[in-house]
Amino acid sequence: MKQKLLTTITAMCLTFAMGSVQAAGELHIYNWGNYTNPDLIKKFEAKHGVKVTIDSYDSNETMLAKVEQGGSGYDVVVPGDYMIAIMIKKGLLEKVQPNKMSNFKNIDPKWIDVYWDEGRNYTIPYQWGTTNFTVDKTVYNGDINTLALLFDPPAELKGRINMLKDMNDVINAGLRYLGYPRCNSNKAQLKELNTMLVKAKANWRTMDYSVIEKLTSKDVDLSQSWNGAAKRARKDRPELVYAYPKEGFTGWMDNVAVLKGAPNLENAKLFMNFMMTPEAAALTSNFANYANGIMGSESMMNADLTAAPEIVMPASAPAPEFVPPCAQEVTDLYSKIWTNLNK
Amino acid sequence: MAEIATGKMHKSIDLKYQPGFSQIAWFCIVVLYAPIAVLVLFSFNQNRSVTVWTEFSFDWYLKAAQNEGIQHAAWVSLEVAFIAMVVSTILATMAALVTTRTSPYRGLNVAVTVINQPLMVPEVVTAVATLIFFAIIKQATGVSGIGYLIAAHTAFCIPFAYMPIRARLEDMDLSLEQAAADLYAPPFKVFRRVTLPLMLPGIMAGAMLAFIVSLDDVIITLFVAGPGETTLPLYILGQIRRGVTPEINAVSTVFLLISVVLVTLIFFFGTDKNKREQ
Repeated sequence: MKQKLLTTITAMCLTFAMGSVQAAGELHIYNWGNYTNPDLIKKFEAKHGVKVTIDSYDSNETMLAKVEQGGSGYDVVVPGDYMIAIMIKKGLLEKVQPNKMSNFKNIDPKWIDVYWDEGRNYTIPYQWGTTNFTVDKTVYNGDINTLALLFDPPAELKGRINMLKDMNDVINAGLRYLGYPRCNSNKAQLKELNTMLVKAKANWRTMDYSVIEKLTSKDVDLSQSWNGAAKRARKDRPELVYAYPKEGFTGWMDNVAVLKGAPNLENAKLFMNFMMTPEAAALTSNFANYANGIMGSESMMNADLTAAPEIVMPASAPAPEFVPPCAQEVTDLYSKIWTNLNK
Repeated sequence: MAEIATGKMHKSIDLKYQPGFSQIAWFCIVVLYAPIAVLVLFSFNQNRSVTVWTEFSFDWYLKAAQNEGIQHAAWVSLEVAFIAMVVSTILATMAALVTTRTSPYRGLNVAVTVINQPLMVPEVVTAVATLIFFAIIKQATGVSGIGYLIAAHTAFCIPFAYMPIRARLEDMDLSLEQAAADLYAPPFKVFRRVTLPLMLPGIMAGAMLAFIVSLDDVIITLFVAGPGETTLPLYILGQIRRGVTPEINAVSTVFLLISVVLVTLIFFFGTDKNKREQ
């Protein structure tokens, strides 16, 4: 009986293995969790007769670790801007040339010549956003568009601040406040930054990723935040206002990319072209709650999204800055400051 | 141990009667279970926050049940856990037999250590090693599929299934099997009619332990899983950056329930028969 069972199981395992070798008309997407609109996938499946699987990762680094070994089986990934730069350098992405695809005309020109993929030979925009902070206007009603609220807060906000537990977000904000350049290896400037951050930390209540919970439970009145989280927090606490500090702020963008050696290369290209249609971009935004960089998608986006000051930047705000990955030497210096700050 | 505690030791030395015993015990239980209790509580919360209570509802359970991603992940989890359980239990049973039902031989201790070693190796090391190993095989053969994930789960489940089976076998006196052999039962018949029925509770406990360990695994699965092979724990992990909703609490509660039921069953399978024999 045991023999029979063993044979059955071996046969089952083989069937599973064979199943995915033979199947044609598939597409394997590897994306951040809870970031892909199921309706969008259904639409794509119906239009092209392709069976799509979606798996999720929790960080760019997890995705890289898996993809780097080769043979992951995935076709499409959606890494953040700096990770695209790394993956192109490592030769992990297929040069699918979206800039020659029929729907490329829909991409907002300002997202074409980006530092991570000049001219868009590998990737297209998926979603983008900003990292700023959001404040309860009833607690503090002065001018909020300044980083002084984080680093030299008024009395009302002292001890009521949450910062993201993210080295780059905190340090870059600090550098902007002091007026120093990003990816900075100037020891004197970093020393000043270190002193400033340590001093500012005395006024911070927490350093934590759970921005929405911190704000809606009224544990804090100001939190550094991604714009999408700020919008969701505002739903439960309408007094919150998202700031666009005059000193500048970081932007981020996740991009659709095709892996080198993708088992379903042609379907991946179809998907990329599909993702540049305003309909697809709007579906993604409506699900993930971020802006998408595809022109003509606004009219199909949910009204609460297009009306949200967190998503649609006011004209007066400075342009978001995309910070490329810094040299190892700089990262090491940053790590020291960060470790010291977290003591 | 039980004998020492109740019989020979004086009442005043017994740990249970030391001052503060119940306070410390309660403190430990609260520390261990309060977070889980909070998780379960907020799975019944009506609004989307996992910290602010509004009112009781089953909404998140309904939402979770209708979520295709969760359904698919749950199905993958159960499929992998079931096959890994069956295969690893068979292998562990064989391993337990050859490490207890023979006269001691050279290398016996080494064999036992090798079987149990995966429990000592940090999981992330196994995970990265498996990832690289499978990547080489995949590139060499071109074969992909869920078979790799099942193989990985089977491998790390073996020591977990092995422990209770071996413990059971060590408790079992050889005399019954010797008696059967004296009565001219051939070895296989001895195994079928005497050894196997006696060791069955150990096998059941081992199988369920393997099932739970496979169902709960994150790190190895994260590295090994291929397209369409997201398990429930991986699905939950993937939600973190985009914010956890009570939907995840609901799924976790269901998972918790499965684990509790299985652990309870293991307990009964593991102890029931022992007691009756005594």
